[in-house]
Amino acid sequence: MTGASMTGADTTSDGMTGPPAGSPLSRFAWHCRNNPKRELWFAWYATVIFYIIFFVVFFPVTKAEPPPHPWWSDAQVAAWFQQNHHGLLIGFGIIFAVAGMTAPQNALIAYSMRRMSVSRAFAYSYLVMYSLSAVPGLLLLCVVLSVGAMQTGLDPAATHWLFDFAFLSYIGTMGVFLVGSLVWMLAILLDKNRVMPKWFGYLNLCNALTEVVVAPAWIFHTGVLAWNGLISWWVNMVVFGIYTGAFITLLRNLIRREDFGDGPLPDLPSKAAGGNAPHGNTPHGNTGAASLAGTAP
Amino acid sequence: MTEIARAEQPETAGQPAAVGQPPAGESKPARVVPGQPDMWVLVLFEALAFTAYLGVYLYHRAADNASFLQSQAQLSPWLGTIDTLLLLTSSLFMLRCVQASRAGQVRAAMVNVVVTGLLGVAFLGCKVTEWVRLARAGHGFTSNEFFTYYFFLTGIHFLHLLIGFVTIGVLVYQLRRRERRSQEIVETCAVYWHTVDLLWVLIFSLLYVVR
Repeated sequence: MTGASMTGADTTSDGMTGPPAGSPLSRFAWHCRNNPKRELWFAWYATVIFYIIFFVVFFPVTKAEPPPHPWWSDAQVAAWFQQNHHGLLIGFGIIFAVAGMTAPQNALIAYSMRRMSVSRAFAYSYLVMYSLSAVPGLLLLCVVLSVGAMQTGLDPAATHWLFDFAFLSYIGTMGVFLVGSLVWMLAILLDKNRVMPKWFGYLNLCNALTEVVVAPAWIFHTGVLAWNGLISWWVNMVVFGIYTGAFITLLRNLIRREDFGDGPLPDLPSKAAGGNAPHGNTPHGNTGAASLAGTAP
Repeated sequence: MTEIARAEQPETAGQPAAVGQPPAGESKPARVVPGQPDMWVLVLFEALAFTAYLGVYLYHRAADNASFLQSQAQLSPWLGTIDTLLLLTSSLFMLRCVQASRAGQVRAAMVNVVVTGLLGVAFLGCKVTEWVRLARAGHGFTSNEFFTYYFFLTGIHFLHLLIGFVTIGVLVYQLRRRERRSQEIVETCAVYWHTVDLLWVLIFSLLYVVR
């Protein structure tokens, strides 16, 4: 990504302003060959596609979200596995196929921090934390619930054990999201390159504070603070949904604004066109931010 | 001035002009809100989150009012009132800090922010005392539904206040050196502190006062 051929300066010096007219397939092929931001766009689309698949699999297919009641008896848990047998196996089979898409997403978020005027430690710590947390926070839940669905003749007490293990493993990673959100928040608030708006830094704090609220789920099996409670799950999910929508949009804007320099990011072309266009003002000279943004797929 | 050139000027630090004064030769547009407008996103979100928490509390309270009232009677209204007075007074001193900072009176601003912090520490002490008193009386986080809400709401507010001490640290850091001083950051920190105060007033009203 940092190679000379990938810089915006080279792109503009080649006189490349955008894809040729033609079919969508030919334009896509042009982007794959020529767009200097193709890796970033790949990571962004991987993020969007992963979240769509995640939502479809976890909500309607496996019914693992909203989480089932933690106070269920052995028989009720066994009945839940039986009712969702096919959904759990098919859904988590899909998740195993696409789980690797979390890596480009984490890489893109880490990239946003590497583009900031802050220490690289922020990006690296975020990347390590989120990469490791994908194992207990996503894969372990899928493996354990798949085992529960597969082993239909299992002792109900053992099935219940799998059920608790899966969901506690899932919610147990909220602490990682908490610290990860604080790392991203600090990077954004300290950054001078305007990579992300400051309000999103503060939104990270809101998200981190709602992750704290999940902690009582380790104590409560019933009520609003249980793992499917009104406060622990529903409020948290609303905040997380807004937070996720915000960062996906902001990462898209980051790619559109990227000039592959190391100074402040230029504004979006639409803003720049209103007057103070940033051309020629970036640390790397005329990077042609607008023309680069014009090459967005 | 281009957007980039504006961005290259430190937004928050490195403003050598007197506190509250725009850099020479630049007429700054009037700000709509105090501090960074971005901080108001946090204020809005936290207000919405606490509205949700308190809404859930009121909903469950309405379903079992007698039990909630019985547990509520175990709280000390005096300690709650002292908590509230401590935080409201701390907000007053924070306000005086902002005013002093705007007037360029750094020493007065520093004194006021230190008093704000001390009042915050007194609040924390008062709150811990109350928790210990309740725990000794056998009222814990899992005792009943009222105390679950009580410890959850006061606990999450406690956490907000701890973050408030970080903002006070940022504020002191800003005030200590003239070259990095930013009135906008001072006001942003103050907005956070007032938000914590506001959240406490809501919690106090619904947990201690409303019968």
